[in-house]
Amino acid sequence: MFKVKDLKFRYPKSDVCAVNGVDFEITDGEIFGFLGPSGAGKTTTQRLLIKLLKGYEGEVLYQGKPLTEYGDDFYQDIGVSFEMPISFSKLTALENLEFFKRLYKNTVDVEPLLKRVGLWEDRHKKAGEYSKGMKIRLNFVRALINKPKILFLDEPTNGIDPVNAQIMKDMIREFRDEGGTVFLTSHIMSDVDELCDRVAFIVNGKLQEEDTPRNLKLKYGKRIVKVEYRENGDLVTKEFSMEAIKEPEFHELLRTKDIETIHSGETTLQDIFIKVTGVALHG
Amino acid sequence: MDRLGILVAGELDRLKKYNLFTALTVVLLMWLAIAWLLDAEELKLFVPLILLMDSTMMTIVLVGATLFYEKKEHTLNSILVSPVREAEYLISKIIVGIINSLITLVALWAMVYFLKDISFNFLLVAGAIIVIAAFHTLIGIWFSYYAKNFSSLLVNFMIYVLVLAMPSVLAVLDIIGPKAARFLIVLPPEASLILLQAGFQEEKLWKIIFSFVYLVALSLAIYKFVVRPKLNEYAMRETGV
Repeated sequence: MFKVKDLKFRYPKSDVCAVNGVDFEITDGEIFGFLGPSGAGKTTTQRLLIKLLKGYEGEVLYQGKPLTEYGDDFYQDIGVSFEMPISFSKLTALENLEFFKRLYKNTVDVEPLLKRVGLWEDRHKKAGEYSKGMKIRLNFVRALINKPKILFLDEPTNGIDPVNAQIMKDMIREFRDEGGTVFLTSHIMSDVDELCDRVAFIVNGKLQEEDTPRNLKLKYGKRIVKVEYRENGDLVTKEFSMEAIKEPEFHELLRTKDIETIHSGETTLQDIFIKVTGVALHG
Repeated sequence: MDRLGILVAGELDRLKKYNLFTALTVVLLMWLAIAWLLDAEELKLFVPLILLMDSTMMTIVLVGATLFYEKKEHTLNSILVSPVREAEYLISKIIVGIINSLITLVALWAMVYFLKDISFNFLLVAGAIIVIAAFHTLIGIWFSYYAKNFSSLLVNFMIYVLVLAMPSVLAVLDIIGPKAARFLIVLPPEASLILLQAGFQEEKLWKIIFSFVYLVALSLAIYKFVVRPKLNEYAMRETGV
């Protein structure tokens, strides 16, 4: 769907490139996570892909054609949910959606979407009276009103309670399962792990890693199994390499000891984020 | 309805919802009340000045207020990632500015025509209003790009008035002599006033044509070299990038 080659972008008043020679590909029907610390270049990359920023070097192909050759009809294909609440505060949620709906050729019935994200009862309430979580859910519905082929989601579950966050994650997965493509940026690594088919890490404008979450966990994790058991009242921990678990010693341990926990040495995306970017996540 | 029509209708709807129409109506009623108190001769001098203030000051304040709200609520970003062209977005602002100034014109015309029995060249004044409101909408957008908040937009407007309208006042007071005053036509407020006054009194044809062509040319230049190319940069700046 998107093919990015040696993408470079520098803001007019800056000496350094915000995006500096980035290559990646987003294939049809996948959820692609684009991760990195604040200021790493992920928002800039997203803005280049949605044509909010112009004047880049390198190549961005959308459906095999340079992005620069697309006119404003490109926006018929995409849906964007920004991180910050975006709505006309003195208009109701429904009025907001109806205004934007009129700008597109293909649109959806907003009633099922608003019901799904729990905003239908409050559809006649002014958007300015919504809580932050409600506004973000309204952003999400706004992104879906034109039946997009690709969704750009910037921190889609940030500030949303766990129940509604789960509903939105289910909707994102359903969108993907129906053939849609998703470009997602988030600091919530559990969401990224749960949703993304592939992830890329960007640091200082350069891509550091790009793979499936599973492969990254294998790459950065330890190929070990850690077993905890009780012996004479004391807690004992033993580590076995993946090769060693075929040996009689491991089987004997499982058979004879009072095992309390068994863990593989698989790491988390959060740990990988810290290792790759060198930056700890906050919040 | 095409996209431009949708944008204009949406903009007018929001003017109502954000109570900006109420503010405009209050100002219009004030103009009408002042006009009511004047006699026929005074009105011929005063109505062009009312129309000048309305199509310059009110137009700048109005577009500044709508951009200020859009900046505060980040809605411009949402519009820019829709199929709306930048040109459509900007032209919708210009059309709304013109509509509001024409409402004032029609109300004033009806008032002086039916209640004061005064007539003027409505079509010429309407043409002038269209050009002046379009030009000043663009000025308002330009100021908004560089204004940190609504107050600084008003400060920019005051500077604009002081620098570009003050020479005309000085000419009326004979502080600027007649020779130098001939060149004041290159100042947009002076060119605007000449166009509006032409609907109420005799004016040299070359001055009318020059003022009209000059304001149209300036509008096109500001649109092409400032307002259109800087829109994206403004939209990005408002989201802190």
